[in-house]
Amino acid sequence: MTHRYIKIGATVLVLGLAFSGMLWSTLREGTEYFKNIDEVIANQQEWQGKKLQLHGYVVPGTWVKNTKSLEYKFKVQNNPARHEATGGIVEASYTGILPDTFKDEAEVVLKGQFGPNGFQVEKDGVMAKCPSKYEAASKSATSGS
Amino acid sequence: MASLGTFLLLASFVVCSYSAVVAVVGARRGSRRLIESGIGAFYLVCALMACASAVMINAFLTGDYSIKYVEHYSDSVQPLFYKITSYWGGLDGSIMFWVFLLSVFGSIAVWVNRERHRELIPYVVATISTVQMFFLYLMVVHRNPFTTFLTTAPAEGQGLSPLLQNFYMAIHPPSLYTGFVGMTIPFAFGIAALITGHLDDSWLRAVRRWTMFAWLFLSIGLFLGMIWAYEELGWGGYWMWDPVENAGLLPWFTATAFLHSVMVQERRSMLRVWNVMLVIITFFLTIFATFMTRSGVVQSVHAFGEDRTLAWLFTGFMVAILTFSISLVIYRLPLLKARNELDSWMSREAAFLVNNWILLFSAMFVLFGTMFPTLSEAVTGQRLTVAAPFFNKWMLPVGLILLVLTGVGPLLAWRKSTVKNLVDQFMWPTISGVVTAAAMIALRIPLWSSGFCFALCAFVTGTLVQEFWRGGAIRRKNTGTDMLTAMIGLVGRNKRRYGGYVVHLGIVLICLGFAGNGFKRTKAFVLDVGQENTVGRYTLKNLALKISDDGQKQMVTAHIAVFANGKQLDTAYPAKWSYRRHEQEPTTEVAIRRTLAEDLYIVLGGYEAATQSATLEVHVNPLVDWIWLGFGILALGTGIALLPERAYSFAVAKMPAEVATSAGLLLACVLLGTTTLSAQAGMPSASASTQTSYFARTPLEAQIQKEVVCTCGACGHAAIGECRKDPCQVSHELRAEVAGLIDQGKTHDEVIRAVIASHGGSQDMLGAPLDEGFSRLAWLFPYLLGSGGAVMIGFAAVKWSRSAAASTETPAATDSELEERIDDELRDLD
Repeated sequence: MTHRYIKIGATVLVLGLAFSGMLWSTLREGTEYFKNIDEVIANQQEWQGKKLQLHGYVVPGTWVKNTKSLEYKFKVQNNPARHEATGGIVEASYTGILPDTFKDEAEVVLKGQFGPNGFQVEKDGVMAKCPSKYEAASKSATSGS
Repeated sequence: MASLGTFLLLASFVVCSYSAVVAVVGARRGSRRLIESGIGAFYLVCALMACASAVMINAFLTGDYSIKYVEHYSDSVQPLFYKITSYWGGLDGSIMFWVFLLSVFGSIAVWVNRERHRELIPYVVATISTVQMFFLYLMVVHRNPFTTFLTTAPAEGQGLSPLLQNFYMAIHPPSLYTGFVGMTIPFAFGIAALITGHLDDSWLRAVRRWTMFAWLFLSIGLFLGMIWAYEELGWGGYWMWDPVENAGLLPWFTATAFLHSVMVQERRSMLRVWNVMLVIITFFLTIFATFMTRSGVVQSVHAFGEDRTLAWLFTGFMVAILTFSISLVIYRLPLLKARNELDSWMSREAAFLVNNWILLFSAMFVLFGTMFPTLSEAVTGQRLTVAAPFFNKWMLPVGLILLVLTGVGPLLAWRKSTVKNLVDQFMWPTISGVVTAAAMIALRIPLWSSGFCFALCAFVTGTLVQEFWRGGAIRRKNTGTDMLTAMIGLVGRNKRRYGGYVVHLGIVLICLGFAGNGFKRTKAFVLDVGQENTVGRYTLKNLALKISDDGQKQMVTAHIAVFANGKQLDTAYPAKWSYRRHEQEPTTEVAIRRTLAEDLYIVLGGYEAATQSATLEVHVNPLVDWIWLGFGILALGTGIALLPERAYSFAVAKMPAEVATSAGLLLACVLLGTTTLSAQAGMPSASASTQTSYFARTPLEAQIQKEVVCTCGACGHAAIGECRKDPCQVSHELRAEVAGLIDQGKTHDEVIRAVIASHGGSQDMLGAPLDEGFSRLAWLFPYLLGSGGAVMIGFAAVKWSRSAAASTETPAATDSELEERIDDELRDLD
């Protein structure tokens, strides 16, 4: 009986170690920091070169496109446009196609890293919030009957 | 109307609590009358919810914008169909729809099982009622869909988001909810069995079918979500491991595990604790998935609002479910002891066990990955996220292992496989897998991971063909029919098993599609008018950019000519539409050129109206359509497995021998007739000289004129009786030849053979392959599709016209090991 338990124990140990090892290694390269702009703007140097998902809002009227190529430049701020204070502003550049939902004031998450010319968004790295069926609570859950 | 709706919800809540309490009290006191009263109240909830739903749909149809929910999710110009589907368009309505579905399913389940599982029913009623109470409570106190505006009501609604005004999106939620809600029924039966201690396998029989049903709808729901993402969102893919997508996948994994392990319990009385736990976990995951997507706990691109109250209510409910169910399981552990032990790792139960572990692992892994941002924030204070590459890296090998098991499982014997039957069973499938792998290497397709996946697909397909073939061969020997009738009879004898194989075939096709993803090509560029650019083998040219308006929306359409090998294949029209009132959310209308080999997927990313230049993103997606096809086959297989047992076997027993073959022929004739009919419309009439031979003098001649095709090269191989290429000398001569052969007194088969022989011996001459030898394989597909419907119609006719008579079919004793195995399994699983 004890022999059997040793076998089972050893199997579980080996599988467990292999599993956690693989998980650790894939997590190390697969993870990205999810940050709001204000969290990184203060010490931008520290975040230089780290993979980030940057959350913010598009500053109205700041996005320009190079008509001959797919290069975009735009600014993103920490707070929604309706807020009194904009919070930190980051300049971002992106090459590719922007999603339909990307527009002035849109809430976006940008994948990429800080480079010499502001935030460099990686390929397909712009996520703008979808209009979904499931709207925020504040709108419809104000009063009971 | 709104107050009526609110009242109905309140009444449902009250009746629900009454039903739960009275059912339990009745069961404990042994009072039949109390239990009946509880069941009655349970049905009443269903009626009340139906009324509430009617009120809601009425409000949408009449445009009662004083109700906030209606105002928010519809407007007056919306088409009728989308007005109705707006019912489940938002959070509040979807909860209400959830309760409605649950009350309907619950009532059906209770009604069907009221006699068979009399001892379980009170607790089933109580469990379902409790779940309903939770959701009704959510609505009554927190998210009432009938909330009205306190001030003046607006005259017009805001309208459903244009992205959701899509056919797939309209039917995707109900399908997914049907799957989710359906999982409550097995859970209720499981809890009832645990409470009453009736833990023999009878509760499993009651829920097996429900689980399969719920699983089917969950699969369809996932499929619709994928195809919607593919066609509507325009990013070129169908799955991106978004929390919302993952939510649907979690219970799918555990339900799949349950559907497999339940067989082990039926056969070997093992895994009893495991099965109860799987049912509980599956139900828990459906609730957890709802919680995850609705409460804003997990950050997602989809704007699921943050709702703290809802999050806490759900958390409380989930904790309650887990504590209650797991303590029940622990309390009943002595009754749940396995009656057998695993004899060998080379057995089917072992394969099922491994499959279960991996499926459970998949569920837990996806759960972990989805919750990782939340977890990491709670532990380290940093919000770390993982994205699609992380999931792909892990789920790819997991998926491949599952695919291996899909093939291996059915080949292993129960209890223990001997070396002899391993060799016997694995030889052909392994050969087909290895040959495919060799072909992959020869074609320089990278072996990891797509090539490997293709090889595995071949291996699994090999096992499936072998299972059907061997089973069919034995049945043919025993019943004396032809192979195909035998195979269909085989499916009828054990629908669960062979239906399951058809599902496996669907899974193989889906995996094939996933593997194709490895060869995906993507390119983005700007095209001015007249400019060209190349992606893969396609060359795209911008012909024009046009802007039009149809009153409801403004449409910007690019006209893109698609060339391949110097020839124009098609013109594609990728577009962007902006709906009125939703100008800020333009929708992308993707142009997809579908072929089985690859899809050409063109997105209009942006445009410059002044210069007519279009920004295009082009994807070439190989094998994508096989995924959708695979889901179709999967649904077909589940449908076969779900058909009522007695009905099908009765119908098959009544069928005369070879009926399948003749039905297939008939079907082929009809199909051939209709296609050629449409082809001949509008064609000029043939000239007199070649026309005389059209008129068949005998039915045989007419039949052969339909079976032999014309080789004139201008008619696209129409049947010689139908080739109207004017004047067609070739078909005229062929008709004359056939007439001559018939005049010599030859039979149908002799004529066909003579025609083939006189034209080089190739079957190209035939509109359909000869029904013999290898060519029969080509017949299999229409059979599978067509005979399903034919058998059902036939069954209805037979049942009405004759009384039931026991099938006298007794298998002849041919003493082979395989037959023993098959018969053994047929008996046990029937």
